[in-house]
Amino acid sequence: MAIKPEDILREVAAARGTAICVPTMTTSPAWRTLAPDDLSVGCSGFMGGASSLGLGLALAIPKRRVIVFDGDGSLLMQLGTLATIAGARPRNLTHLLFKNGVYHTSGSQEIPGGLTVDFVQMAKGAGYRKAYAVSDFDDFKRRLPSMLTDEGPLFVELHTGLADKTPMTDRGGQPFHQQVDSLHQKLRKAG
Amino acid sequence: MPESIPAPLIIDTLKDTFREARGGTATEPLGWILSVPDTHQKTVLAALDKERALRVVTCATEDEANAINAGLWIGGEPVVLMIQHAGLYASVNTLRGVAMDGRVPTFYMIGLLQRERDRDPKESRHSMVRFAEPLLDTFGVPHARLEGPDDVHLIPEYYRLSRERRGPTAVLVGLETI
Repeated sequence: MAIKPEDILREVAAARGTAICVPTMTTSPAWRTLAPDDLSVGCSGFMGGASSLGLGLALAIPKRRVIVFDGDGSLLMQLGTLATIAGARPRNLTHLLFKNGVYHTSGSQEIPGGLTVDFVQMAKGAGYRKAYAVSDFDDFKRRLPSMLTDEGPLFVELHTGLADKTPMTDRGGQPFHQQVDSLHQKLRKAG
Repeated sequence: MPESIPAPLIIDTLKDTFREARGGTATEPLGWILSVPDTHQKTVLAALDKERALRVVTCATEDEANAINAGLWIGGEPVVLMIQHAGLYASVNTLRGVAMDGRVPTFYMIGLLQRERDRDPKESRHSMVRFAEPLLDTFGVPHARLEGPDDVHLIPEYYRLSRERRGPTAVLVGLETI
């Protein structure tokens, strides 16, 4: 059975410590509830940019873990990012891909290639230090600590079902520029 | 008539710009260059390969460069994006969504590949040269031309302006650098 995305996010929220998180698309509403006022910045308004945003943060703050919650449709929009991330070699970047095979927000149309697209092979081929898939929740919980500490760039393809909410059914949250400003200020204070 | 700008002059100006941005603090790297390699600025890119003080991240697309810039800026790092006019056209959505809507300071050096020495860019025979400034105007992006060595002072000026206005600014590299 596919893993519920909210279950994954709940586990990450409990285990992340001081990590910066970059949600996008269908992970955004649940993450807002689970981590309402913290070190996060969502990718909204430029679909496909979450991993690049995460890369910039990871390069700027190498002592802090950065976790990207990407989507399969989103990643396909800027697939070259896999090579860019691999080339930049951020040791502190964890790239979690929530793979459900569809564009959930627009009515669940299948992404090109559907569930047969193998992003793990793509990440490995691009040069990520480690890449693997997880399709069982217990396996995810067992491997989560290493996902947050293993040397990056690390890519994990998570086989998930659909989120209960999407940015279309649950609008809200801070506009992107407020999230940017808030995280910028918090990181400045943190030093 | 426009003149080509030597790469060492641009590199030194970038270093001075980053030093000022860091308030004189000695830091490694001094600053970041996000590059989608631009033929027009190839001598600068070649010189950057030998530079240890500046870290270059080569990006697959200008969309990536815009988002990486946002992450670096949020984390307090000084950044310059080096792209070509064609890349500006390709990345209009992230110019809008990240630099403008996100109010992210974003400073571009944009190469005007195929800009004719004897014509104003607005009169160019090449659409990719001709439309660059009108596109920036449409989006309200302040911009200036680097028409020769005497104009390099515009690099720190427009870099500072991007920080002051919390958004995009650009300088357009008129002739191929040497």
